[in-house]
Amino acid sequence: MRADYFIAILLMIPLTILQLTVIPFLSYNQIAPDLLLILLVYYTLKMGQMHGTILGFIFGLFFDLVSGGILGSAMFSKTLSGFLTGYFYNDNKVELNIHTFMFLFIVLVIGTVDSVTSSFFGSAETSSNIITLILMQGLFPAMYSSVLSLPMVIFHSRKIFA
Amino acid sequence: MRGFFSKFWFGYKEYIIVVLLLVLSLSVLSLNSKPGIKKVKAFAFGGFAVFTSGLSKVVEPFSTAFEVKNLREENARLMLQVNSLREYGIQNEELRRQLALKDTSKYPLISAKVVSKFASASQGNFIINAGEGENIKIGMPVINSQGLLGVVTSVSKDYSIVRTLRNRELKFAVKNQRSRYDGVLEWNGKELTIKNVPKTYDMQVGDRIVTSDFSTKFPPSIPVGVVAGGNRDKTGIFNDIVVNPYADFLRVEHVFVIAFVPSVQKNNLELNLIKNN
Repeated sequence: MRADYFIAILLMIPLTILQLTVIPFLSYNQIAPDLLLILLVYYTLKMGQMHGTILGFIFGLFFDLVSGGILGSAMFSKTLSGFLTGYFYNDNKVELNIHTFMFLFIVLVIGTVDSVTSSFFGSAETSSNIITLILMQGLFPAMYSSVLSLPMVIFHSRKIFA
Repeated sequence: MRGFFSKFWFGYKEYIIVVLLLVLSLSVLSLNSKPGIKKVKAFAFGGFAVFTSGLSKVVEPFSTAFEVKNLREENARLMLQVNSLREYGIQNEELRRQLALKDTSKYPLISAKVVSKFASASQGNFIINAGEGENIKIGMPVINSQGLLGVVTSVSKDYSIVRTLRNRELKFAVKNQRSRYDGVLEWNGKELTIKNVPKTYDMQVGDRIVTSDFSTKFPPSIPVGVVAGGNRDKTGIFNDIVVNPYADFLRVEHVFVIAFVPSVQKNNLELNLIKNN
């Protein structure tokens, strides 16, 4: 468990660098995938709800500090995401959740919640209605993150069925 | 009693932890403007920007090729415009001298490179590789060859955070260059809008929007964007005017910081005026 924590925090650093340098080039109309969210969902499904919540808090704090964004917004949304991902955690279905298309579904659901939550802090006065907010700032970035985590699932499922 | 607490902890520890961490996050949210928090943030992003600037050098050739192609096209267009503008410039200089107006277009420019970007729908910002060492100060405007990009909000020794126009926190006075009407521009999470513009104001699609003389944040006449349309509300007396920015925020690589510090005196006078009213 300690090793998993250590690896997750170690992976957080290069993924944050990628998120801040490469991902902006892949974004379209402010819709960008979230690499830290994929990592958070992966480790929460492996380690459980409580550890996911704590990891989410650490990821959010780190991202807020180094990205120059509002300190506390990613902390809040990632903590909540870690906690909610924990509801998909099942000790007997870890492999099934992580290495099948179920993983994409979980990233999609949690990504939507994460994006909507973080956008609330930045656009409290927005004139957009709730449907637009969920679609444009929630579902689309989550779908992008979900698609980006596809190679991970394909790679692992090949290893399992080989 | 001890047994009760230990039972309570083991039964609800996930909920206790999430509530504590969420409350902590919300408390931190309210402390963003505290000088201590700003110092911690400046130290953190300054340290981390060393790594992001390393990777941005690797990514740069791919983005630069696209930028060069665009710049060549723009260069050709600008070359045609320069000749006619040169003539107007000479006339303008002469007229300004006669009117004894202060020229605001001669602030020194400090060159910098974007080392990381935060692609968010509401909190757009960049980190650039110029800081206190290059005499960058909080409040200085940031531009590129296309137009206004944002304003410096935090400075460390070698790096600075730039709050872009695509950030809800940035609101400033702008002017329609043709009709000379002023308004306040802001990002609504989706597009740049000038809010509550009276319907009687002459704002047409394609009009150039520049920073206003009334702006306390920016020097006047920096290009911002063009009017793209308006959200016409038949029942009200105001419109929201949508502005398309000149700058391409996703592809920007090289920027210039204008060595202009907002006037504290002007800000104080305005605050006094508000207080007195």
